Amino acid sequence: MSDALAPEFTAFNRWLAAGELRLPWCDACRRHHWYPMPRCPHCRASDIGWRAVAGRARLYSWTEVSHRFDPRYQGPLPYIVALVEFDDAPGVRLVTNLVDTPREWLAVHLPLVADFRAAGETPPRVLFRAALTRSE
Amino acid sequence: MSTDIAIVGIGQTRPVRRADRPLRTLAVEAVQAALDDAGLDASDIDGIITDGVIMPHTVPREFIAAQFGIERGFDGGTSFGGAGNACAPELAQLAIRGGRARTVLYYFGVDWGSRAGGPYGFHDMYPAKMAFEKPYGFNAQPTYFALWARRYMHEYGMTPDDLAAVAIAHRDNALLNPLAQNRKPLTREGYYDSRLVAEPMRVADCCLISDGVGAFIMTSLERARDLRQPPVKVLASRFASEPFTGDDIFTQQREIVRVTGAHRAMEAALAEAGITRGDIDFAELYDCFTISLLVQLEDLGFCARGEAPALVRERGIGVHGGLPVNTHGGLLAHSYLLGVEHVLEAVRQLRGQAGAAQVASAEIGLVGGWSIPDYGVLLLGRDRR
Repeated sequence: MSDALAPEFTAFNRWLAAGELRLPWCDACRRHHWYPMPRCPHCRASDIGWRAVAGRARLYSWTEVSHRFDPRYQGPLPYIVALVEFDDAPGVRLVTNLVDTPREWLAVHLPLVADFRAAGETPPRVLFRAALTRSE
Repeated sequence: MSTDIAIVGIGQTRPVRRADRPLRTLAVEAVQAALDDAGLDASDIDGIITDGVIMPHTVPREFIAAQFGIERGFDGGTSFGGAGNACAPELAQLAIRGGRARTVLYYFGVDWGSRAGGPYGFHDMYPAKMAFEKPYGFNAQPTYFALWARRYMHEYGMTPDDLAAVAIAHRDNALLNPLAQNRKPLTREGYYDSRLVAEPMRVADCCLISDGVGAFIMTSLERARDLRQPPVKVLASRFASEPFTGDDIFTQQREIVRVTGAHRAMEAALAEAGITRGDIDFAELYDCFTISLLVQLEDLGFCARGEAPALVRERGIGVHGGLPVNTHGGLLAHSYLLGVEHVLEAVRQLRGQAGAAQVASAEIGLVGGWSIPDYGVLLLGRDRR
């Protein structure tokens, strides 16, 4: 679906394919932001690099999608779309899918960890799952 | 001394899920209907405005000018969709006051009922959405607003019953309007029978998908008083926006559940019109989803944050409620022409031509138009000479 990726977007997918989660980092105001863009949305500087985050996050909101809105999306139905906030990149939120997380656990602030099982796909995807497992 | 302007003619095609003729043909029909309604000839028009994103690729201004033989001396493009529909009078007012035009035509419509990809495909224009959201199946407006609804439930204890109340009120209003696309009565049970598409959003929480065009004509109030219809005065039309893009607005704002621009546009419009919220007799608001209608009532200042469900429950938003909202059925039940139908309905209300949906003694109406991150507030009033 993302054949014509904007040039400033490719680094994220390159890091992700290598199993690493890196987000744009502004050297001027020393903050992460999302999405990749030419100027920092906080301070408008253009000294932007990429810096790794640990992959620990909390659930901000979610939805269980049970309708195929776009035929180009071929994943199984239903699926959970989550918006997650990183512990070490405050205010940055990522759209992702949840896996291995019981439906009844879903709640705002649920602790999550990054899951790289789909990082080898085209395009690479980072998924998230509950930080605790059932046995813990 | 400033020149007041008025809306003097309205026209539209009957909104349908899938039209049997092309959008350009529908646009010509809607413009002709607006001219006929005003009792004007195309040669009276000397300026054309439409939105700056959708119409330029589908029914450009030069096409309409050429079809009607309009010699343009003024040409304007405004925000796409909702905000554009509410702020076209702002541009027309500037042009007419500045002596650049005497009589200005506005038109807007979509063929998202028959166009491949429909409203979802429209968001393909956002590169970060394509790269980082659509691969996760976050690929349609109902999925964005489902995140809103879930978060709002967490913050303020909203329940699905509160969403149902909005859907039912809009359907009840649509039942009073012969042009509304969805005139099937909706009960509470019917709401819960409606299919979940992006939990908690059901089909009944989502606006329709439509093919159709609306058009309206504006000129000076002085000239309007000599025309066929009772003039509907533009009390204020104000635009406001915030520095976000269509890419990041649904995910990166500090609080995602808010209608950007609405508060500032509303305050500017009220100040310009010299009125208060209590003077507003009815409101036609951008109800793309049940949840967006609720949050808009809050950002426009009709109630405090978290209190819109109580406003709907206790004050009522039906035609005979305490605050009549979307008296034609709105985007939820009348049609999804991104709010141009809201302007036309407000004009009908203020002329006293709204039929069974007429709000008793409607003197001042509000139209709120949203095209994320832009918002437009249009305040219209009966001409009290």
